[in-house]
Amino acid sequence: MEGPLGIPLEHVLYLAITLFLIGVVGILIRRNVIFILLSLELMMNASALAFVAAGAYWQEADGQVMFMFILALAAAEVAVALGLVVQLARRFRTLDIDAASEMTG
Amino acid sequence: MNLEGAFLAGLPYIALASGLLIVMIGVAIRRTHFVAWSLTVLTLVATLICHFPGYEALGEGTTLTMLFYVDGVSYVFNAMFVLAAIFTAVIAYQYVQERLGYPEEFYLLLLAATFGGMMLPAATHFASLILGLEIVSISLYAMIAYPQRARGPLEAGLKYMILSGVGSTTILFGMALIYAASGSMEFMDVSPVTGSMEGDTFYLIGHAFFWSGIAFKLSLVPFHIWTPDVYQGAPAIVTGFVATVSKGAVFVVVMRYVMQSDVFSSEAITYVVFLNAAASMIVGNLLALQQKNLKRLLAYSSIAHMGYLVIALFLVSTHPGIGFETAIVYLAGYFVMTLAAFGVISVLSVHSERELATIDDITGLLWRRPILSATLIAAALSLAGIPLTMGFIAKFYLFTAGIEGKMWTLVGLLVLGSAIGIYYYLRIVFAMTSQPEGELERAPNSSWTGIGAVATLGIATVVLGVYPTPLVDLVQTLLRASGF
Repeated sequence: MEGPLGIPLEHVLYLAITLFLIGVVGILIRRNVIFILLSLELMMNASALAFVAAGAYWQEADGQVMFMFILALAAAEVAVALGLVVQLARRFRTLDIDAASEMTG
Repeated sequence: MNLEGAFLAGLPYIALASGLLIVMIGVAIRRTHFVAWSLTVLTLVATLICHFPGYEALGEGTTLTMLFYVDGVSYVFNAMFVLAAIFTAVIAYQYVQERLGYPEEFYLLLLAATFGGMMLPAATHFASLILGLEIVSISLYAMIAYPQRARGPLEAGLKYMILSGVGSTTILFGMALIYAASGSMEFMDVSPVTGSMEGDTFYLIGHAFFWSGIAFKLSLVPFHIWTPDVYQGAPAIVTGFVATVSKGAVFVVVMRYVMQSDVFSSEAITYVVFLNAAASMIVGNLLALQQKNLKRLLAYSSIAHMGYLVIALFLVSTHPGIGFETAIVYLAGYFVMTLAAFGVISVLSVHSERELATIDDITGLLWRRPILSATLIAAALSLAGIPLTMGFIAKFYLFTAGIEGKMWTLVGLLVLGSAIGIYYYLRIVFAMTSQPEGELERAPNSSWTGIGAVATLGIATVVLGVYPTPLVDLVQTLLRASGF
């Protein structure tokens, strides 16, 4: 499975999987909401990279179209997310996500 | 495919989208809660009506670009989502009026979420799947965290945002790998390219990601951790919407994916989904046993219910007709009883500082609020699957479907789970009917629209349980017309 540039598709996909997993680990260990959002963004961009690589491999524009969609989705998601972060900062005076964890059971 | 046919088939979507714009412009010009609310309900009713001319033009099904395939099945789910949105809007009116600082945008988000939900049953392409999914989710983040003063909604909103974001991204990443392995993003053509070892591997890894994300959205074990917190923290009526429309829509799109792409021909994928379903039935029911909060209890019960519903998902790959019939009847019943339960909590807690959702809060409720209590009792019995309620018909359908598909383990767990379920659902009923100690405090007034809407749902639970024939006939006619 080799793409037009001579870079095998698998290599790009392994890179994307690595980036995605770094994002997952970031979400699991970070407590600061901003860093959690950054990790989420990293995961989104990992999938965008995989889409572009796959699109190039199949010689189709579909992968790049999905990349556009992902950009728009990430923007919309972050817009709402930052609104919530502002609320968190106002009410709890911190960006630590554990501060807003009162429900259990 | 002529243009007029396509226009008519897309009419419900056009109606809802234009209504959404009208409400948005209306809110921008002048903030009036009642006007925004009426326009919203009007839009939803118009959308519902637009399904009739659309259905005439539909034939067996209409392809709208490569992204959507509109047929009777997608219409029936659209109608369910729109009806759920109407009930949500009507029940929410008083709550929104009393409790939210800026009430108007709530309805915009509700309309947007419904629109996203309506995209999903018609989706036949990864792009339309992820777009519809994200329109629902992003609207819901804001709806959950909408109340400004309370802490619970903010916590629930943050948790839902992060975990649902992880879910969506995982789905996206799975799609990318599946696309890399199969060279297509249309459900119909998704299959590994034969002969290449790596293609097969990435196809499987892709589905592992894809299914994990979907399980997040459907809150199947072990991806269920967000559910109880979000259910408890969100305003009750929003929780009802999350539990019904957002989960229902995701389930339907997965069903179409399974039917068209034949993923269950892979044994590994089938086995993982089977384990998810079995674990959901067991864990959901066991954890529900020790809940003291009604909303948390309903969260765990919804985990179990989604596990039951996977039986229909398995059946779709072999017998699409029976699978879809089961799913439609089950989801219709689930929608009615879940909305009734959360509607009651919402109407009850309109005037109080916190939501009255613990078992203590509802003890002796029957003597104070007879109509609301009767509805909640009907909903609880129905969720437990007691005969003469809609829930029994729904469970019976699943049971038959499971036997049809020879899924003995899942059917066994369904029976076992329902048996455990009876215990915690009946606890709600006992708490409400028990004689309260001391004097009866006078219940504060709730608006009659909210009570009326909730009571309608309660009556529907019982009526559809006693006489389900019209619903079943309707579903079968639609399925036949759609070529199943």
